[in-house]
Amino acid sequence: MTFDSNAFLIIFTGALIAISCGFLGVFMMLRKMSMTGDAISHAVLPGIVIGFFVSGSQRSLEVIMGAGLLGILATLMIEGLRKKAKVQLDASIGITFTLLFAIGIILINLFAYKVDLDQECVLYGEIAYLPIDLWVTKSGLNLGPRITWLAGLNFFFVIGFIYLLFKELILTSFDESFSSVIGINAKGVNLALMSMVSYTTVSSFESVGAILVVALLVVPPATAFLWTKSLMPLLQLTAALGILIAILGYYLAYWIDSSIAGMMVTVAGIFFLLSAIIKGKKPSWLQGTYKAAKPLGI
Amino acid sequence: MITQVENPVLEIHDLTVSYDQNPVLWNVDLSLPSGKLVGILGPNGAGKSTLIKSIMGLIPPTSGYVRIFDKPLNDVRARISYVPQRESVDWNFPASVLDVVMMGTYGKLGLFRRPGKKEKDLAMQCLEQVGMTGFLKRQISELSGGQQQRVFIARALAQQADLYLMDEPFAGVDMATETAIFQLLKEMADSGKTVLVVHHDIHSAMNFFDWVIMLNLHLVASGPKELVITEDLLRKTYGGKLNLLTKVTDLIRNKDFNPLKS
Repeated sequence: MTFDSNAFLIIFTGALIAISCGFLGVFMMLRKMSMTGDAISHAVLPGIVIGFFVSGSQRSLEVIMGAGLLGILATLMIEGLRKKAKVQLDASIGITFTLLFAIGIILINLFAYKVDLDQECVLYGEIAYLPIDLWVTKSGLNLGPRITWLAGLNFFFVIGFIYLLFKELILTSFDESFSSVIGINAKGVNLALMSMVSYTTVSSFESVGAILVVALLVVPPATAFLWTKSLMPLLQLTAALGILIAILGYYLAYWIDSSIAGMMVTVAGIFFLLSAIIKGKKPSWLQGTYKAAKPLGI
Repeated sequence: MITQVENPVLEIHDLTVSYDQNPVLWNVDLSLPSGKLVGILGPNGAGKSTLIKSIMGLIPPTSGYVRIFDKPLNDVRARISYVPQRESVDWNFPASVLDVVMMGTYGKLGLFRRPGKKEKDLAMQCLEQVGMTGFLKRQISELSGGQQQRVFIARALAQQADLYLMDEPFAGVDMATETAIFQLLKEMADSGKTVLVVHHDIHSAMNFFDWVIMLNLHLVASGPKELVITEDLLRKTYGGKLNLLTKVTDLIRNKDFNPLKS
C-alpha cells in the first residue's frame, strides 16, 4: 500500500479534532455537563452568522469571537434559568439551545442573500474536502490544508488551557464549594472551560459539523470512563480512542463510500457499546475486594 | 445563655440567612475564643450547616456580618479550612486518595502553579495523621464512608489553617474512628487552632467539646460546655423531642449521682 497523503491529512486532522474535543469532554463529563456541550455547539450558530455578517467572511476572527460570546451567553442562560428561575437543568438546557439555534436559523434566512452559509454546512461539515481547501499565502506559498492548521491551532490551545488550569479544573469539578472557600473562582474556571468548548466547536464546524462535534465531546470520554477510574489514564485512553476513531472512521467511510465524520462517530458509538457490554458483564470475582481500613493509632 | 468573648477568633454579628425569603437563621450573634474545640448542636433543620456555609461565604447573609480573626473573610481565606458534608461530592470522581488530600494545598499555591514535592510530603503527613497512609494510591470510589470522611479531614489538615469548619465529619463513621478523630481535633485545639464541628450526638458532644453552640433557627446558647449543657437549654433547643431529651437529662443526672456519697 502506498502512502496516501490525502488519507493521512484527513486522519491526522480528524484525530486532532477528536482529541481536542475528547479532552474538553472529559472535564465536561466530570462536571456532569456533557449536555451543556451539546447546547453550546448549537447555541453558537447566531454568533457565527453575526460574525459572518460583520466580517463578510466565513474564516474570520469575528466568527470565532461571535461564537465564543454566544457560547458564554448560552452557559450563563442555562445557569441563570436553573438558579434564578428554578428550572431543572435538562429543561434549561433544552430551552436555551433551541432558542438560540432558532434565532441562528432566522438570521441565516434573513441574511441569506448576503451570506454564503447554510444549515447543511453548519450541521454536517465535510472533512473529505480538506485536501482541496489549501492555505495559500499572498506570495503564492502553499502551506497545506487550512482546516488542518485550524485543528492544530485549536489542539495547541486546548492542551495549553488544560495544562495551565489543570488543578483548578480538577478541584472545581470535584468539589465546587471547597474551591470557592479556598478562593478559586469556580465560576470563572467554568466560563473559561465553556469558552474553550465554544471555540473548539466553531473551529471543528467546517470539518465535522455541529452534531458530530457533540458526539466527539461526549462519547470517547464516556467510553474511557467505563475502563478506568483514574484521571491520567482517562485522558490517555480518550486520546487513544480519538486517534483510533479517526483511522477506522476514515477507512470504513472510504470502503463503503460514505461520510467520514458520520463514520467516525459511528465507530465511536460501537466502541462505547462494546465497552458497555464488556464492562457491564464483569463478574464479581474480577472486581477485587475492599481492604479494611487500618484502625487509627493515634 | 450566650457568652461573648474578648478578641474573638470568629465574630458573628446579628446574622440572618434566608433561602427564597424564608429565614432559616435568625439574628445569630456570637463570638468564639481561640484554641477551643467547638460543637454546633441542634435538631435537624436547625440551620447548623447553613451557619457554617454562611461563615464561609457560600451562602450570602440577608443581614449581619461575619468577621474572622477580626478581618473580613476574603482577607483570611488562607487561614480557614473547610470539611464539607461527605454527600456533597460525587465519590465516583476519578481521583486517588493522595489527589484529594493534595487539593488542600491548592489554596496556598495560587493560579497556574502545580503542586510539587513539598505539597506531596505535606499531604503524606496529613494522611498519616488520620491513619490512611496505606490507601495512598486507592481510588476514592473504592473507599468506605468512614474512610472517605478521613480523606476529607486529611485534606482539611493539608490546608494548614488556624480555623477549621467541619460539617458533620462524623456521619457514617464508626465509634473507634470517631474517638480517634476527636483526639486529633483535641490536639489541634490544644495547639491553638480553633475547630468548629457540626455534630448531632449529644452524648459524645458532652465528652469532647470545650465550647458548645446550640441552635434552633435562633441561637439558643453559646458558651463553655459546663455552663451550656443544661436541661433547660437542651429543652429549648430540641423542643418536644422528649425521648432524646430524657436520655440526655438522665445522662447528666447519672454523672452527678454518686451513691456512695449519699
